[in-house]
Amino acid sequence: MKRMLAFSERNRKEILRDPLSYLFCLGFPLVMLLIMTVLDASIPKEAGMTIFRIDNLAGGIAVFGQTFLMLFTALTVAKDRSGSFLTRLYASPMKSADFTLGYMLPVLLIGIAQTVLLYLASLVISWVVGTPLSVPGLLVSLVTLIPSMVMFIGFGLLFGTLFSDKAAPGLCSIIISLGSFLGCIWFDADKTGGVMLKICKALPFYYCTRAARSAIRLDFGQGTYLFPLLIVSLCAAVLAVLSALAFRTRMKADLA
Amino acid sequence: MIEARQLTRRYGAKTAVDRLDLQVKPGELFALLGVNGAGKTTTIRMLSCLSVPTSGEAFVGGFSCTKEADRVKQLIGISPQDTAVADNLSVRENLEFMASLYGFDPEKKQERVRRMIEDFRMQEVEDQRAKTLSGGWKRRLSIAMALINDPKVLFLDEPTLGLDVLARRELWRVIEELKGKMTILLTTHYMEEAEQLSDRIAVMIAGQIVACGTLQELLDSTGENDLENAFVAIAEKGGVR
Repeated sequence: MKRMLAFSERNRKEILRDPLSYLFCLGFPLVMLLIMTVLDASIPKEAGMTIFRIDNLAGGIAVFGQTFLMLFTALTVAKDRSGSFLTRLYASPMKSADFTLGYMLPVLLIGIAQTVLLYLASLVISWVVGTPLSVPGLLVSLVTLIPSMVMFIGFGLLFGTLFSDKAAPGLCSIIISLGSFLGCIWFDADKTGGVMLKICKALPFYYCTRAARSAIRLDFGQGTYLFPLLIVSLCAAVLAVLSALAFRTRMKADLA
Repeated sequence: MIEARQLTRRYGAKTAVDRLDLQVKPGELFALLGVNGAGKTTTIRMLSCLSVPTSGEAFVGGFSCTKEADRVKQLIGISPQDTAVADNLSVRENLEFMASLYGFDPEKKQERVRRMIEDFRMQEVEDQRAKTLSGGWKRRLSIAMALINDPKVLFLDEPTLGLDVLARRELWRVIEELKGKMTILLTTHYMEEAEQLSDRIAVMIAGQIVACGTLQELLDSTGENDLENAFVAIAEKGGVR
């Protein structure tokens, strides 16, 4: 436990001392939040398009921000693997679980802080635009988002373990694009319907956004909240186990 | 303190280390001298539980490197060939991090870190992030990190590779100060380094130790008057040009 905490502290410092972390994990989602709010104000009410209204946008932007947690997890792991740093740690008494939990824990805490800041910004925007946001709803949504954070961190750990520090960010970019588009952050697949909706529903990203948005509205319906949350939680568990196993296998191969 | 019996490591058809026998006494500074690809790093990897031998056995402090790796890891420190430091952590934080991995309580950790900073004369850079350090300072930090758990055995893999002459001399002084306090196994391809630092030198060629002894013994056996000529004579005898 002590080793894992020491390693997670090191990883927290490594990530937070990289200015790009702030730019991508906080700056970019905040900018998108503002741009989409301005866009929402420009859409005529008659269009009936509410996807960028702050009560919908806040949850979507929070999931969008989480995709960058994946990128920074992958970068941290892949960079450590590319040099001799892990070699030194392999020769120490650290175990495989110390590594995987040590990589995941600090990013999870960064993710919680990221969501808190994004929701605070959303709250301010809601006062400005006059669309009420429920504070208890935001708090429930924050907790609801933890499984999706774990899922994206799992993706990051998996990519960082399997690919080089050159290839991993590229793969993360694909997931960021897919996740934000097919997660229905920027469009309403339920209104689009058809094949598009089927594709979105076949991937976990749609459920991340849906659960977060429903939580903000304090809508805990089976189809709108519970089922999406269950899907995301299952995916998070699978990704967490899969990435931990991948790291363990890689570690064994490195030490063979 | 370190013993290898018929230690062998193969990668597919290539034999990196070939039936290596080795004994290093407690407190001795032992150098593995050889050209690139001679098998020095592979040997250190097996002795420090970072690689499993294809056959043969290795022991550190009487513990098997394969069967009792956890016990061996408590006894050793390693400074890998590349400077293995956490770039965004300061010198002090790197040392504190390593101390935490070995389970030091906060008080002992601070005491140990202070001692390392003093011993390695790193006061002027202790709050500087590792990525901003020069190559020489990074190597010094790397060795200090390897020593944080007060190991009985220290493995130094090409410790001065790529350093300028002044940084190299400074690092030699650091290593010389460690002599006698622990068993040190050092790999190098610099003749002068082996000559300057080692109690005994093993010449490694194509995965095998082809000569081993004190500097004087190697010179006497080849009839040469410096290590470079002795190494060439041994290498040519071993079939390497």
